[in-house]
Amino acid sequence: MNVNDVTRTIMQCRPDAILVSSLGTATSSVRLVTSDGPHFYFGAAMGSALAGALGLAEAVPDRQVVAVLGDGEFLMGASALWSVAAYRPSNLTVVVLADGAYSITGGQPIPAPLHVAAVANALAGTRGVTVSSTTELAATLRAEPTSPDAPGAPLVIEATITERTWPGPSPFIDPAATVRNLRASLAQAPAPA
Amino acid sequence: MTTATKPPTPSPHVPVGLDWQLAIAQELIARGVSVAAYVPDSRLNGVLAALGERDIRLRNLAREEECVAYAAGQRIAEARPVVLMQSSGLGNALNALGSLAVPYRLGIPLIISMRGTLGEKNPSQVPMGRATTAWLGALGIQSFSLRQASEVGPVISGVLDLAFDAGETAAVLLEPELGGGRA
Ligand SMILES: Cc1ncc(C[n+]2csc(CCOP(=O)(O)OP(=O)(O)O)c2C)c(N)n1
Ligand SMILES: [Mg+2]
Repeated sequence: MNVNDVTRTIMQCRPDAILVSSLGTATSSVRLVTSDGPHFYFGAAMGSALAGALGLAEAVPDRQVVAVLGDGEFLMGASALWSVAAYRPSNLTVVVLADGAYSITGGQPIPAPLHVAAVANALAGTRGVTVSSTTELAATLRAEPTSPDAPGAPLVIEATITERTWPGPSPFIDPAATVRNLRASLAQAPAPA
Repeated sequence: MTTATKPPTPSPHVPVGLDWQLAIAQELIARGVSVAAYVPDSRLNGVLAALGERDIRLRNLAREEECVAYAAGQRIAEARPVVLMQSSGLGNALNALGSLAVPYRLGIPLIISMRGTLGEKNPSQVPMGRATTAWLGALGIQSFSLRQASEVGPVISGVLDLAFDAGETAAVLLEPELGGGRA
């Protein structure tokens, strides 16, 4: 499974979701797969994307928000997982791209095993699952309720990336365009069922 | 747009003599702030309690960087958050300020309780307190000192204008002269 497989599967299962992507393969892949769709692309602020997704999810409770995070990104902002566990927005799903490396800076290996799904399960307010194929990822996403009042702790999906390729365009996005496009899309989109 | 400071109605949670904490909460509520992301500080307690009494959502996050990023997620959806922290936590927030709030022009209002300045007795908190306005200024973030309860209305309101209307992240510094600091 590569990063684009993951992003494509997310978009197939959650076509109306707003994605929050971290600097690295995540932002590149979301740009490619959604054709620069109205999502919250991080072009920097490494370590802040999960907290940003938490804030966005709580601001748009009728929309599904999926955070697509690099594993390096996740580790730098790991404390935010405890904040997610504390406030548990039911419209937030977290997908960590576990490629075991800081791909964008040259593929340096991440020294400790991630085990983020196990950590999410250890916290009372989040649930974790590991997936290693698009079939498993799709089955996991489809099994989750998406109605705004669905109960349940946010799901953290550790997606094992075995095929490491650079996914798409540059992640050095234009911040102004990111804000303008997402705001315009939020202003016009009726809450999907 | 400046709102006149009304005499605050008493709150069971705000200590006598610290009416400024209540006045800050009332100004934030009057201006439509709907959520406060914070890391605790004793001088913020009264503000947060008064916000909580009025059903403003309170989010005690683990790091100040998370508070800024959380507020960025709210602002990109055009909601009205406020971030509250002690000056000792500004260092933890710099990356989210400089790489997210400022370049995305998300306009986040910050309320920073000052330590390490007038009357500080803890040597370890002095360097960050002394550097607070310089750190903010280096990122192009304006900061405004609040020293008297009578100035709460215009200063809070003015910073919310800068943030929500002009798209400028801006800070109110709660200076020691306001009271409520450690004796
Ligand atoms: C605070 C900060 N530290 C370091 C960097 C440099 N940097 C940018 S992306 C990155 C690695 C990202 O790794 P990961 O999140 O795993 O993404 P991926 O492997 O998908 O590229 C690093 C170290 C930065 N931009 N900001
Ligand atoms: Mg990685």
